[in-house]
Amino acid sequence: MAEGFDIDHLAKLARLNLTAAEKVLYSSQLTQILGHFQALAKADLPETIDLARVVSESALRSDEPGPVLGAEAVTRIAPASRDGQISVPRVVDDEA
Amino acid sequence: MADLLHTLSAAELGRRLSAGLLTSRTLCEALIARYHLLNKKVGAFTHLDERDVLTQADASDARRKAGQGRGPLEGIPVAIKDNIAVKGQPLTCSSQMLASLVSPYDAHVTERLRAAGAILYGRLNMDEFAMGSSTENSAIQKTFNPWDLACIPGGSSGGSAAALAAGLVPLALGSDTGGSIRQPASHCGIVGLKPTYGLISRFGLVAFASSLDQIGPMARCIEDCELLLSALASADARDMTCFAVADRALTPAGDAKKLRIGIPKGFLGKGVGAEVATAVTAAIDFYRSQGCAISEVELPSADLAVPTYYVVATAEASSNLGRYDGVRYGHRSASAGTPVEMMTNSRSEGFGAEVKRRILLGTFVLSAGYADAYYMRALRARSKIRAEYLAALATVDVLLTPTVPTPAFKVGEKASDPLQLYLEDIFTIPANLAGLPAISVPCGKSGHLPVGFHLVGAPLSEAKLLAAGRLFESAHGFAHQQAAL
Repeated sequence: MAEGFDIDHLAKLARLNLTAAEKVLYSSQLTQILGHFQALAKADLPETIDLARVVSESALRSDEPGPVLGAEAVTRIAPASRDGQISVPRVVDDEA
Repeated sequence: MADLLHTLSAAELGRRLSAGLLTSRTLCEALIARYHLLNKKVGAFTHLDERDVLTQADASDARRKAGQGRGPLEGIPVAIKDNIAVKGQPLTCSSQMLASLVSPYDAHVTERLRAAGAILYGRLNMDEFAMGSSTENSAIQKTFNPWDLACIPGGSSGGSAAALAAGLVPLALGSDTGGSIRQPASHCGIVGLKPTYGLISRFGLVAFASSLDQIGPMARCIEDCELLLSALASADARDMTCFAVADRALTPAGDAKKLRIGIPKGFLGKGVGAEVATAVTAAIDFYRSQGCAISEVELPSADLAVPTYYVVATAEASSNLGRYDGVRYGHRSASAGTPVEMMTNSRSEGFGAEVKRRILLGTFVLSAGYADAYYMRALRARSKIRAEYLAALATVDVLLTPTVPTPAFKVGEKASDPLQLYLEDIFTIPANLAGLPAISVPCGKSGHLPVGFHLVGAPLSEAKLLAAGRLFESAHGFAHQQAAL
């Protein structure tokens, strides 16, 4: 199992800004927690993963359209919207 | 009579409503008065729309008067954990990320409660996004254990358990990913049941770890727990893991005195407090005295449950919480020049410390180079744990342990030690990993704090768990208990 991790890389993957103090704190706590996970590394485990459902019923159903939230309901809860659409910061810049 | 209504069970309230001895409005007014008296002290509710409650109560009374009552929950208030959607009410998950979100739709369980005539009664505090075991991770407020206001109520459904123990409401919904119904139920002296995975729809439950999450009933007695479970369990095509199996789960279980009860070998060695051990041992002795067959069972991989859970749950959480990007709903940072800045700043400002910790952990165990060592090994361990539990439950009807090793701790006592908090769930986690039904039943006190025992059964054996709980409850004085506040 891994001995360490790069907190900056993790934060970037998770899309989180961390302060210097948070980096120190989370690094320490994650090291401790991952140490506890070492029991998994030492365990004698089956080679296969049992993905069976607890309740063995068919998960298949007919593909029928159902009701969906309308644009008005969706834009009402959006942080920003304009003309019935959700607005976000510019995605493509002028020079691209 | 109104000043005693908070002491009655939901079933008894239903009988009085049916007999015309009580109206839903009178009941709701009494509970609203109690809310004003106690909620600031306990911190169970984060939101209560009194006018809406009374409007619902009047509609219920009108239906009943017109002979159109909808069943045993007609006119009964049910409080709802703040991660279950109720159209037109806040859906905050006790997070700054969703602080201003009002749900545009009903969860399936909410639809079921409306169809049953229940009163949708307020929003209950919780650990942020259901991540925690003490409700201290709520970004809105603290919740305190009604039995000792210096102690935590458990979590993440701490608001639900505290509301029941304080007599603020007769029934509540919780959700359980690793013990979040059963652990607070134990700490607050109430009954909490996590159903078989697939018995109750997750549609409208804000996702934390989808392969583990289940909604379940919380109440002050077994009869009420069963009443609420019966209303919630039904198939729903909007949750592909939910099936029409309610009849199988709720078929009467026969004589509880003939149950075979398995005791996992060595459970008292897992940091169990002396008074918890005494109370749970007394419960085992009670079942033996009633004629139940008690035997020891081996669960060799039980020690893997906590690390397995925290790999699987955080991996799924890091994926599920990827949706909070500031685009469609939830918090959007005011300082967002580019889309990536918008996502990163919004998430950094909106999530609290425990949620960030779990997202980082889940991101790590799924990341390139580490997924095989952590996530895939955890899935293999989960398979092994599940196989061992199913094998044990082929020889006995239920497995009995404490619900939590020790009683409720002081607020703040474990706040800086996440690993210690994770170990709170050592007895409850395996049921989630294996998808099995489990219940916490009050069985005594450690000092002045409640203690519960925990029963796990085979898939769809809810009726057996309830029957076992009823046998114990009927011979002891722990049903309907409320803290003196």
